[in-house]
Amino acid sequence: MGELGQYILNGISQGCVYALLASGLTLVFGIFDIPNFAQGHLYMFAAYIGFYMVTLFSMSYWLAVILATIALGILGLLTYGFIFYPMRDAPKVNCFVAALALLMILEGVALYFFGTETKWFILPHAKRILTFGGLALAMQRLIVIIGTLIVMVSLQLFIKRTTIGAALEATAQHREGAMLCGIKVSRVSALAFTVGTALAGIAGVLIGPAVLLMPTMGMGPVLVAFSAIIFGGLGSIGGAVLGAFVLGLLESLASGYISATYSLTFVFGILILTLLFRPKGLLGKEVWRP
Amino acid sequence: MRKLYSLERVSWLFVLILAIVVPPILGGYLTSILILICIWSMMCISLNLIYGYTGQLSLGHSAFLALGAYSFGLVAVKLHIGFWPAFLAAAVITGLFGFLIGIPALKLRGHFFVLVTLGFAVTIGVIVLAWVDFTGGANGLAGIPRPDPIPLPWGVKFRFDSLLHMYYFVLLFLILTAGFCHRLVSSLLGKTFIAICHDENLTESLGVNTMSRKLLSFTISAMLAGVAGALYASYNAVISPEIAHFTRGTDVLAYLIVGGSATMTGPIVGTFVLVAIPEVLQVVPYLKTLINGVILMLFIVFLPSGIIGGFKTILPKLGGLRGRPRAGEHDIA
Amino acid sequence: MTLLEVSSLNKRFGGLMAVSDVNFSIQSGELLSIIGPNGAGKTTLFNLLTGIYRPTSGGIHFNGSDITGCKPYQAARYGIGRTFQRTTIFRKETVLDNLVIGQSLHMKTGVWGSVLKTSAARWEEQQIREKAREILSFVGLTGSEDKTAGNLTEEAQKRLSIAMVLVAKPKLLLLDEPTGGVNLEEIGGLIELVKKVQESGVTICLIEHKMRMVMSISDRIIVLNYGKKIAEGTPNEVASNGEVIKAYLGERRVA
Repeated sequence: MGELGQYILNGISQGCVYALLASGLTLVFGIFDIPNFAQGHLYMFAAYIGFYMVTLFSMSYWLAVILATIALGILGLLTYGFIFYPMRDAPKVNCFVAALALLMILEGVALYFFGTETKWFILPHAKRILTFGGLALAMQRLIVIIGTLIVMVSLQLFIKRTTIGAALEATAQHREGAMLCGIKVSRVSALAFTVGTALAGIAGVLIGPAVLLMPTMGMGPVLVAFSAIIFGGLGSIGGAVLGAFVLGLLESLASGYISATYSLTFVFGILILTLLFRPKGLLGKEVWRP
Repeated sequence: MRKLYSLERVSWLFVLILAIVVPPILGGYLTSILILICIWSMMCISLNLIYGYTGQLSLGHSAFLALGAYSFGLVAVKLHIGFWPAFLAAAVITGLFGFLIGIPALKLRGHFFVLVTLGFAVTIGVIVLAWVDFTGGANGLAGIPRPDPIPLPWGVKFRFDSLLHMYYFVLLFLILTAGFCHRLVSSLLGKTFIAICHDENLTESLGVNTMSRKLLSFTISAMLAGVAGALYASYNAVISPEIAHFTRGTDVLAYLIVGGSATMTGPIVGTFVLVAIPEVLQVVPYLKTLINGVILMLFIVFLPSGIIGGFKTILPKLGGLRGRPRAGEHDIA
Repeated sequence: MTLLEVSSLNKRFGGLMAVSDVNFSIQSGELLSIIGPNGAGKTTLFNLLTGIYRPTSGGIHFNGSDITGCKPYQAARYGIGRTFQRTTIFRKETVLDNLVIGQSLHMKTGVWGSVLKTSAARWEEQQIREKAREILSFVGLTGSEDKTAGNLTEEAQKRLSIAMVLVAKPKLLLLDEPTGGVNLEEIGGLIELVKKVQESGVTICLIEHKMRMVMSISDRIIVLNYGKKIAEGTPNEVASNGEVIKAYLGERRVA
């Protein structure tokens, strides 16, 4: 029981990171129909920003969390304004490539300015291990779980309880319909992008102290996040979160019982199977082609 | 009825002559750069086939490059069966992988396909690094042979030890690959690829089994990338997991977009520009990814048709340097 | 002889019954028109016949084979050709190339033949181009061979879209609003073309809104409303059918 319980606990904390990434992805996806491949690198970037703020500028960690999130949100807004908004009439493929270019730029910046040696984001409280009932949980991972909970609840409240949130949901469900209702789609899109990248930012800066920082740290998580949103059905935040936790658990179990190195391969295998047998995902519906 | 002496053909003949005649006077360093340009151009042409001409954006070609390099290296080094059998094995193995991964991947359209190919590339990268017993892990594989010396009629053997001879070998393959693809896309079969690129639904409603056509294009594309990988392995004598990193595939995509996708000459031009210029300017390796990313971003936003594509749009406006009006944006000449 | 037999066809999208318990058949050589108010399910029916949608239940039999739930390219190979409401052609290709692509389903040349330009490959290419020219003249577009398809007039594009399907030698031709978006003067020309196709032995099934045209050229008419078939018969029978008149009240079109 102890082992299984531990894997489940690990899976949950990993699932939180994936849930944040996946929610950001599905927001952008729902509005633009574009997979933001750079989401993983944005997450990586936030982790590094947090790291530098704490180690170079001796900032309080909590302040760094807020600043890193805001910085990523601003980056998202700028990306939308300078890249995706001008490309709104271009073929979809061009936007995929632009997202890729963003990924390459972020990776290049990380490789050149941050260096390839792995970095340890050391925080006094981060490594404290909490134990309960034979299970161990690093303090930072608890922070991740709590942080994710707060963010997810706030996001839900925002979408369901505010007018802007409703506009966001409406545009994600039916772009033309939203336009007819007078919703300024470009503003909503900008918001979606900003929130999407901010979510990647929170994920990165929260998980940073718990893991090794490397320029490539974002690639694995973003693929799992994509698998999560496909698994859970596109355009649905609930599905994204569900998918994220399912895959996080699966990855943790695979890592523990099969092999840690190949856990990503395992998740990818699940993605392929889902796409082959249930392309609409668990919660998706058949697309009506008019 | 294509004009035999069109401006384009003449200029490419000229470039070909330069490519053959000039290198002997260049030093070893420049020749090695040219070799790399040839190899990456081959990979770029292979990507052009599935993306530019069949409309499916594959981010997985780094996997095929690595599969080609590693299967050639492993077969040649561990099985000792000689260069050509190993080379053939590499092409066949990579083609097989292309076929197998293509079947599930191509059932999906648009972003799903892109994602699956990206996932495949990352997965292969992980496996190459992690499967130490088989691939040598981070240490890679060494001792990969050059082609066996070819006996010539007058008693001498054409050896491949020198960079220059290796260059001609690789150049020959580039010419073969380019010629093959050119013939393929200008044929009726090629037209069906282009039709799929324009409008897959319409093509399917006309009775074309688009799945099998896409699979054919993808498999050929994978095989060509594998051949490029095998050539790289042979030239470099040593391969390591960095050849399996998915950024190899995104770099080549950058070369393709910058040069101009869906044109025959774009891949070569784009590769040349993005590989030669950083080398000449002595740019640090890590800065290359950043520069490639920035350049790709600039092109995809402002000039998505690339250098060659841009030329083709501008030239007619400059007053009929082209012959007859060219229908279709897919350049097949 | 019955060419197409549709039995108890149903198509559901979530809560919406787009096509509900539709039964009909098409006889070889006839011209059948399908009419009905907007949203009645006519295009959905075509999509079901050509494999773009899978039926929720029911059967489709064509020329002796069961083609229920087949894929779009298979429907074409069985001999069903189809045009779309929004003129769908390859806008960036030449007119001739459009017709060349339309014949690819019968193409035999493989990769090696194409790359090596074997004499078999060259011969097949020549045959295909000639056949393309033949059909071009049949639909009245000779001389437009080298034009970019997207630059043709709307009416010429309609002709091209019909030609693209004809070139594969279909037995049944489904035309979805072949005169949509075309000038009044040009409609006559298109109608003549449709009749000419019928006379050449192709069975035709037509979706249209222009009543006068439908009444004058159809052998039989089927009327759909809210996904159900509400009437079937000769033009006279349908025109005097009470249900039909009720369905069209307020939406009567006399073209």
